[in-house]
Amino acid sequence: METAVANEDAARNAHNPASPTGSQTPRVSIAVDDTRKVRTLHVKAAVDNLSFYYGQHRALKNLTIPIAERQVTALIGPSGCGKSTFLRCFNRMHDLQPDTRYEGSITLHPDDLNLVGPGVDPIEVRMRIGMVFQKPNPFPKSVFENVAYGLRLRGMRNRATLAEEVEKALRGSALWDEVKDRLQDSALALSGGQMQRLCIARALATTPEILLFDEPTSALDPIATAKIEELISTLRDQVTVLIVTHNMQQAARVSDYTAFMYLGELIEFDEAAKIFTNPAKKATEDYITGRYG
Amino acid sequence: MAELALGERSFMLSDPMEGHTAKAFDGALTELRLHAVGMGGLVIDQVSTAVRALLDADANLAQTVLARESQVNDLERTVDREAFELIALHQPVAGDLRMATAVSRMTVELERAGDESKKIARFAGRMAGGEPQGPVRAVARYLQHMAELTTGMLRDAVRALDESNADLAERVRARDSELDAEFAAALRQLMTLAMQDQRYLGVTIDTVFALKGLERIGDHAKNIAEQVVFIASGRDMRHKKSQAGA
Repeated sequence: METAVANEDAARNAHNPASPTGSQTPRVSIAVDDTRKVRTLHVKAAVDNLSFYYGQHRALKNLTIPIAERQVTALIGPSGCGKSTFLRCFNRMHDLQPDTRYEGSITLHPDDLNLVGPGVDPIEVRMRIGMVFQKPNPFPKSVFENVAYGLRLRGMRNRATLAEEVEKALRGSALWDEVKDRLQDSALALSGGQMQRLCIARALATTPEILLFDEPTSALDPIATAKIEELISTLRDQVTVLIVTHNMQQAARVSDYTAFMYLGELIEFDEAAKIFTNPAKKATEDYITGRYG
Repeated sequence: MAELALGERSFMLSDPMEGHTAKAFDGALTELRLHAVGMGGLVIDQVSTAVRALLDADANLAQTVLARESQVNDLERTVDREAFELIALHQPVAGDLRMATAVSRMTVELERAGDESKKIARFAGRMAGGEPQGPVRAVARYLQHMAELTTGMLRDAVRALDESNADLAERVRARDSELDAEFAAALRQLMTLAMQDQRYLGVTIDTVFALKGLERIGDHAKNIAEQVVFIASGRDMRHKKSQAGA
């Protein structure tokens, strides 16, 4: 793997039970040449030697990537490279399928919870890791109830508090101004772009630590896509974002860090600006310049 | 790890501009580079013709350079527009993006080198019209040698672009110091002449400008070579001293 992560030990130390927690979570330094500045960031999730199997098929092979806190990390690669499989490990989506298994770890900081650990409850994981899918999938309920759903599941009953949190989430997903007068209307009456932002609001309402996006704009027109991309850019102030996209320009526009995957392996991980101007690996260059095939 | 698997699938490209799934992209990039190389060839000829016109006080050669100046300007606009459209229509990244932006910068360097040739040709025209030839004769050897150096640097810089050859481009950068040394030596010669005989001061100053023009053309060749290094490797060599140079 060609990676610019200089201090991989930092990511590895995340698995040491004695490693510091809280404000002393591991940091990752992005290596530089003489023209690039060093950036040191907190690691939100340290992926270490992660492999994933569908039955006998090994779909992910020894992935080690530090996911920087409150940054946008994009996963790119051709179809079948494992990027969506990798994304779904974070909230244990694979647990819904029989005969699958994980090896290695994804350590969530600051409390060093191994998201794919055998004793870890997937429900607990999903309470902390939100996900937005390719196709907007609002519940057949009102706009308000879609956002309030997760809050109610967590025991929030006070109507005023619920209303406050719903408004906050809708503002956070840049949808409030468009739906504030129709909160009781069916969510299914919204446009595709609005539905997707509603799904983001629904995910935001439960204040996730990481938000996963799986091709969030592939079903949207350019205007709706631009709104979602702008939203993702602003979300990094409050949440760590991991996004899978087929659209290379989208990865370049929205991500701080980009990982290129191929055949279940990580080929290169670096700052997005580096990947899209001067990648270290020829395979990465061939793919992002459209020479793959 | 994936390197082996990728090696089996990845392309070994004989031409660094080709191999895109979208063949129109290949075509646009190749055309851009060919036009830049063509512009380079014209500018090299402008430089050598202008210096020949000066040394021989040949009005016809001087006129040839002046007449072709508009072709250099047209090529600058054409190549720059092609680079601009390539960025707008194909959204290049990585090496392709570096090629588009660097070629756009190169056209500026080539056009300025062409401008210097034009100034030398105008001076040659005045010489052919009867201005005293003493100062030019006094530094003819330097003019000849500096013209050979500059056209050689330009030729190799353009060849490096054509071949995406960073090593060749690095060697061009290193040769700039030799040109600077020649310019300094020629200046000393002219100053000695000016102190001995002040009748030709005006022509002496024009001769200094011609020498300076050649020195500047060498700088433009060096700048083009730096852009080739950027295209081939992503390294930004601007404002960095050449390791092999002074």
